[in-house]
Amino acid sequence: MDPLLEQLLTGFVDESQEIYERITRNLIELENAPAQGTRFDDLARGLHTLKGSAATLGLDELADLAHRMEDAILPLRGSAQPLPPPLADAVLKSLDTWMARLRATAAKTELPDLRPALQLLTQQPAIEPAEVRRAEPAELEEPQTAEETSWRVSTRQVIALLHEVERLREVRLRLDERRRDLDKAAHQIDRLGTQVQTAEARAVLMSMRRALGSDGEEAADIVSSMEDGLKAISTMPVRTVIEPLRRAVRDLTKATGKLARLSVVGAEVSLDRRVLEQLRGPLVHLVRNAVDHGLEMPEVREKAGKYREGALTIRVEQQGNMLFIEVADDGSGIDLTRIREAALRRGVAPVEELATMTTAQMHQLIFRPGFTTRTDVTDVSGRGVGLDVVRDQVHALHGHVEVLSVPGQGTRFILTLPAELGSSPVLVVRCGEHQLGLPMAAVESSRVARARDLRVGRARVQLEHQQQLLPVQDLGALVGLRQPEAPADGQPILIVHAQGRRLALSVDEVIGDKELVIRPLPMEVRDLPAWQGAATLARGELVLILRPDFLVNLEARPESGVTGTRRALVVDDSLTARALHRTTLEAAGYTVHTAASAKQALEQLRHAAYDVMVTDIGMEEMDGFELTAAVRQRPETDGMPILLVSARDSETDRRRGASVGADGFLTKKDCVSGRLLSEVSAVIARRKGLS
Amino acid sequence: MKTQPRQEEAFAPELNALLERRAARVREKPSDAGEESVLWVAEFPVGEDNYAIPLDLLRAAVPLRMVTPVPLSPPHVIGILRFQGQIVTALSLASLLGGRGWREDPAVLLVVDPGFGRLVAVDCERIPKPVGLPLKQVEDARAKATGAVAEVTLPGLRQVQLLDLRELMDRREKR
Repeated sequence: MDPLLEQLLTGFVDESQEIYERITRNLIELENAPAQGTRFDDLARGLHTLKGSAATLGLDELADLAHRMEDAILPLRGSAQPLPPPLADAVLKSLDTWMARLRATAAKTELPDLRPALQLLTQQPAIEPAEVRRAEPAELEEPQTAEETSWRVSTRQVIALLHEVERLREVRLRLDERRRDLDKAAHQIDRLGTQVQTAEARAVLMSMRRALGSDGEEAADIVSSMEDGLKAISTMPVRTVIEPLRRAVRDLTKATGKLARLSVVGAEVSLDRRVLEQLRGPLVHLVRNAVDHGLEMPEVREKAGKYREGALTIRVEQQGNMLFIEVADDGSGIDLTRIREAALRRGVAPVEELATMTTAQMHQLIFRPGFTTRTDVTDVSGRGVGLDVVRDQVHALHGHVEVLSVPGQGTRFILTLPAELGSSPVLVVRCGEHQLGLPMAAVESSRVARARDLRVGRARVQLEHQQQLLPVQDLGALVGLRQPEAPADGQPILIVHAQGRRLALSVDEVIGDKELVIRPLPMEVRDLPAWQGAATLARGELVLILRPDFLVNLEARPESGVTGTRRALVVDDSLTARALHRTTLEAAGYTVHTAASAKQALEQLRHAAYDVMVTDIGMEEMDGFELTAAVRQRPETDGMPILLVSARDSETDRRRGASVGADGFLTKKDCVSGRLLSEVSAVIARRKGLS
Repeated sequence: MKTQPRQEEAFAPELNALLERRAARVREKPSDAGEESVLWVAEFPVGEDNYAIPLDLLRAAVPLRMVTPVPLSPPHVIGILRFQGQIVTALSLASLLGGRGWREDPAVLLVVDPGFGRLVAVDCERIPKPVGLPLKQVEDARAKATGAVAEVTLPGLRQVQLLDLRELMDRREKR
């Protein structure tokens, strides 16, 4: 093929795809509306453009087929009636063949036969031209063409630019941090007095502070304008992917005898082109799945008191740099009995495991490879290929997919994906040693706890807030860091809302709000329901970002600290040591809380009781001996079993441990599962013996 | 494209230089060794045992710091960290192996590519050293191995546990 023609063909395929989607949308709409007006004009214009462009490139067969489609449609212009469904069908099928042929021509693969399409169009009954004026296609306004002075830029180059913008954003954050450092330095100088020497230094610092402030603002402007520019280059509206789904719904409902209407909210949201391209498949699958598995037949819906026509909704929402896409139907919901039967039939899980699974865990089974509840294979489904692919594709985009379903009311699939551009306002709070982020969109307000506003019951704590009683939750307990604590007088409380629910969330400290780029978590922890992602703070450390829906869904959350289980507090300044002790103790049925320092351990012990404390000896500020002594001095903890763990095996340490009140001593190399557990059991038994 | 790490991930310059030298040393294969007959591995201790991973999988050895713990994560997850712009999970190797003892608190993270398209970091007590394991013994050990660890017996009856990290993580995920 002529290289020039080859290049032109590539562009023509892209252009035709857009026109194809437009024509499809118009045909579907005109099946239910009079064949006139701007929609009809746009349809005619599209077919005419396909014909003209194909002829220009010497693709005569395609020009001819487009011409035949025009011939079939144009006599209806101005009609008060909608397009007859058989005609719409014939044109849609011919259009599919047209596109397939064009793609095959560009890809130099086997060309599909055009004859069936031509035959289908010929078979359409002749239509008398409507009485209203019929414009010749030649008179139609030509579609706007792209600016001639465009550049070809590779995706890789755009991605590289995106990453640079992200770096620039981080530089801006660091500038803010430096300005705060300067403030601290100025404050220190202030404390020294107002001597002439310090006044001069202070003036220099203030001038630097102003300069840094102005540099920071300029960097923010640059980030913002670069993002706008890149957005224009690299994104397109979600509509381009969602609109073709109307066709899929139409064809599928016709094939299955069901009725459905697809509504789209947020189609104007613009997204990274690569993301959109990869979302096409998952969305098609979810919509087909909703029609085939979700929606009931019209008569069944009627009996259940629903509209005959099922409602399918796609909702797209971008919050900061996170994107949420929901595909929902108002059908019968996921049938857990059928899931269980299919899981057994396919050997996905043993009976005992299935019996103990929660609803959410059962729902997750539908994402297993090869899983289907169908026993027959249809054109639409039953092959067990699909939802696992959806999940894999969403994972490939660093996102995750969830399913929520209510029997008889419908099913919602929620895809959460990171968007390449943009940042999210996040409120950073402290909880124990952890800094955690909350999307600002979910934070209604903040206040401090006052005893007069708190209603502390045996099972729950409520806060009277603006003449409403809100449930109070301790963030530290929600994320499994400690036992729940009622907020102390003056403790910060955030009023959080999500999914129509409100909650008062107590935290240890509100650090402040920041504009952060939320990135997805790595695969190993991505499916944890508490976390939306992580963001980098100015000094390079990562902060985890909470999911507001996790916070408000109290009943959906797995119980942390189940009553009756044994509780252990592990104190060690080594992250890995804490992880290892946790592994061993949790496997033995303990609920484990951890502390990174003795000070933190004492704080936790002030609020909760533990069955055993396992503590490292070599810690900064306060070591394990001092911690043990401090614990023994408190009446509420003086009888708690304590096991000291040390990196060195020293007789002196053993003796010192015993003298300050420890019940046992173990070296880290002895911490093989059996030894740690047996020693923990031994110290508990020893303490019981003492009491 | 710039190859230096971003400022916020960078450690003190002298530490960075030291790590770079160590990584280069670990990657370096002695020239006099018979390339065909050995598998180059990075060997390091976990408790009383010596473990090894194929050198090809090793991307970096970095100090165990700037790791953010992830509450509610499985116990074998130490936390997450940034490595060359990516967020990487740090895993406790001793925990993955089923809860081993250790001689000193791990101070090093090995960033490895287990072969499923993403990096992970595993902890170890010391910077690993490069060792050539005779291929014959490696093949024998792998043939006998039933799990993620192949026990390679070297001359002098010294034993090295050769890890199949991918298998180890797959098994953990299936649990």
